[in-house]
Amino acid sequence: MDLFKSLIIILLSSVLVNNYVLSRFLGICPFLGVSKKLDQATGMGVAVTAVILLATAVTWPIQKFILDALNLGYMQTVVFILVIASLVQMLELLLKKFSPSLHKGLGVYLPLITTNCAVLGVTINNINDGFTFLESMVNTLGVGLGFLLAMVLFSGLRSRIDETNIPKPFRGLASTLIAASFLSLAFMGFAGIVENIFA
Amino acid sequence: MSQNNSLSVLLKGILKENPVFVLILGTCPTLATTTNVAGAFGMGIAALAVLLCSNILISLLRKIIPDSVRIPCYIVVIAGFVTIVQMIVQAFLPPLYEMLGVYLPLITVNCIILGRAEMFAGKNSVGKSALDGIGMGLGFTLALVAMSTIREVFGAASFAGIAIPFMEPYKIEFLVKAPGGMLVYGCLIALVYAITSGKAPLKKSFTCAGCPNAGNCHTACTEAPAAAETEKGDAQ
Amino acid sequence: MKKSVTSTIVLVGICAVMAVLLALTNAITAPIIKQNQDAAANEALLQVMPEGEGFEKMDVSTYELPSTVTEVYKEKNGGYVITLTTTGYGSGMVIMCGVSADGTVTGTVCLASTETLGHEKTFGTNFTGKDAAGVDAIDTISGATKTTAAYKNAVKDALNTAIILGGGSVDLRTEEEILNDHLTAALPAAEGKFTKLFIAEVIEGIDAVYTADNGKGSVYVVGEYFIPVDENGGMQVFDSISLEIQQNVAAASVILGASTTEDIDLTEYAETLKYITSAKKTATGNYILEVKGPGYGIVGGDDYHPASGEYIIVRVSVTPDGKIIDTFTVSQEESKGIGDACADEKFYGQFDGKTESDYSDIDAIAGATMTTNGYLKAIERAFDAVKILEGGNNE
Repeated sequence: MDLFKSLIIILLSSVLVNNYVLSRFLGICPFLGVSKKLDQATGMGVAVTAVILLATAVTWPIQKFILDALNLGYMQTVVFILVIASLVQMLELLLKKFSPSLHKGLGVYLPLITTNCAVLGVTINNINDGFTFLESMVNTLGVGLGFLLAMVLFSGLRSRIDETNIPKPFRGLASTLIAASFLSLAFMGFAGIVENIFA
Repeated sequence: MSQNNSLSVLLKGILKENPVFVLILGTCPTLATTTNVAGAFGMGIAALAVLLCSNILISLLRKIIPDSVRIPCYIVVIAGFVTIVQMIVQAFLPPLYEMLGVYLPLITVNCIILGRAEMFAGKNSVGKSALDGIGMGLGFTLALVAMSTIREVFGAASFAGIAIPFMEPYKIEFLVKAPGGMLVYGCLIALVYAITSGKAPLKKSFTCAGCPNAGNCHTACTEAPAAAETEKGDAQ
Repeated sequence: MKKSVTSTIVLVGICAVMAVLLALTNAITAPIIKQNQDAAANEALLQVMPEGEGFEKMDVSTYELPSTVTEVYKEKNGGYVITLTTTGYGSGMVIMCGVSADGTVTGTVCLASTETLGHEKTFGTNFTGKDAAGVDAIDTISGATKTTAAYKNAVKDALNTAIILGGGSVDLRTEEEILNDHLTAALPAAEGKFTKLFIAEVIEGIDAVYTADNGKGSVYVVGEYFIPVDENGGMQVFDSISLEIQQNVAAASVILGASTTEDIDLTEYAETLKYITSAKKTATGNYILEVKGPGYGIVGGDDYHPASGEYIIVRVSVTPDGKIIDTFTVSQEESKGIGDACADEKFYGQFDGKTESDYSDIDAIAGATMTTNGYLKAIERAFDAVKILEGGNNE
């Protein structure tokens, strides 16, 4: 029961409180770049969630059973980024071959993900935070869902902004960032709630 | 290579093609590490070191690396240098290491570095690539320091950790929080536009032009319309 | 084909070169990083033992230490720095505590906590220079009883750890076990099994009364004294105990009926005494009853299971002819700051000496008519129960 509670807290805090995009700025490039339309935002969110889950499932055992065991902790960044790059490449090839329709939907977002700092960020954070494999997977799921949530909410926000008449210097990225700031401000309201839901 | 020419390679990163305010690259560290000047300066210098080393090595290897595996090769080189910088910082500047946390290894996926490898170092001589690395690194550092100065002075009433007593009653703590970072960044971009308005010829679509993967993701990028625009700031 | 082979070779080659570079850097920086980390750890240790030097981590796996202890560092001059993990209100606090060679606290600090009030951050400074008795005397932080208790226990665990590591032996048993030892020593006939008699809490001059489960008397606790009274009311008198205490104990034992009580089986009264949760009869014939009264929020009478609201449980001791000796609020969930005044002795103390004719002649709780009425209902039920029980006995 305690395990279940702690997993729920990990999940909710990574979705709401420590939202990667809105409070830690990880994965901010696709957040600003691909959030113009709802379908693109959703596609990117789903693709990122899938990739980070896969990446965590692979990198966590690599860290624990290979790098830590061989005292090669300093190879972490190099190994992780290579693993992520190959995973993304493989996922794209597999999708292309076995599910062209899915590839059409998600495939275009995959190459962008290699250099998405949320992916490398979540794999490294899972190790740094000392999570078990199960906790890592739950945390990663939370990060993915949090990213998806932020993307979907933000795409709605942007479509409203783009219809308004804003001063010229603020058009484009400036207004996008300011809107993101407000969304991030709204998410700050979750701080302190999640930790106490079972208290 | 005339002296004039190399100077322009060096300077363009600082001004004309400032990676943060003009190319809009490396948004993640720009937002995350600018809560105080010391951290921002450290991040800038760390990125400069990685950029310089990776630019030199990639330029040296540009004739050996086959085109098909160039991105993985670049990534390995960059990740390697990032780790080296990370270890050096951890050994000799532990407070900075604590301050930067996960953002230090994340220099690996900082678009500026992969972007410069792809767009410049892979095609130019070692000397030029080194200058380009220094220029871009300095531009990145300056931008981070500028932004962190605003955030720290007005948000925490201090500069590089040194308290500014007369600012204390007026500090706006919101600025050092996550949303404050986005607000300041957004306003700075607008400010750069306003200052350079009229003589800013280049309108760029956000995220993709400088992205090394731009070629791979036509659909995603071309569908994201070029409405988002930034200005080429020539602040001279 | 040839192209992909070259590609692979180049990629592998670059990986190898970078790996070598990394290994070299690591070889240079790793010792420095280790040194830094040790220095940082030392700094934390110095926080709780400012004059300490030459800290060394100990392997304590061969010692039997309090379960809260996680890490121990030995200091050159015979002191210890002990890290402990406690359980407080939320999850645990991580507390680091320095203990000098002479067994006093050199400093404590709370390294991590999820406590609610934030007091634990500054509370640690109170312990500096204290020994075990001094730690006990530290005042509780108001509103953070559990945090304070957890912190104090952790510091005591640290002091005990230092004694154990110094070759001494320490009573690691819980307070309950230690208390039981005292009780058994006072009244061996009880064979170590006692039940606390809560009713005695309000008898003047007595701190606590424990009755032997086997009916062989009870032990009266007054200050540091454990005074045994056998089942016939015979008190063992020590010269060192003042006459006043002796009189108090004697008086109490009369009230409590020589302290032997008999449980009344309530199953045969399931219908008539449904609001009585427990009933005891003392040797002098008095009744000690636990009665349910409807608390605030139990609407429509309390024949239903409460929809929203909890019963007030009142312990009433009554003489067979219906005079209240004593009342005590066992549990209640009344509104904070209003109805919960029913747990205040100022309120329930009013019933002492009352009878069925005048028990409702008391000061009601201001602003809590429902709670007052519920309480009166409980008292009324106690009177009814005594009548029924007395009637049952006469048959």
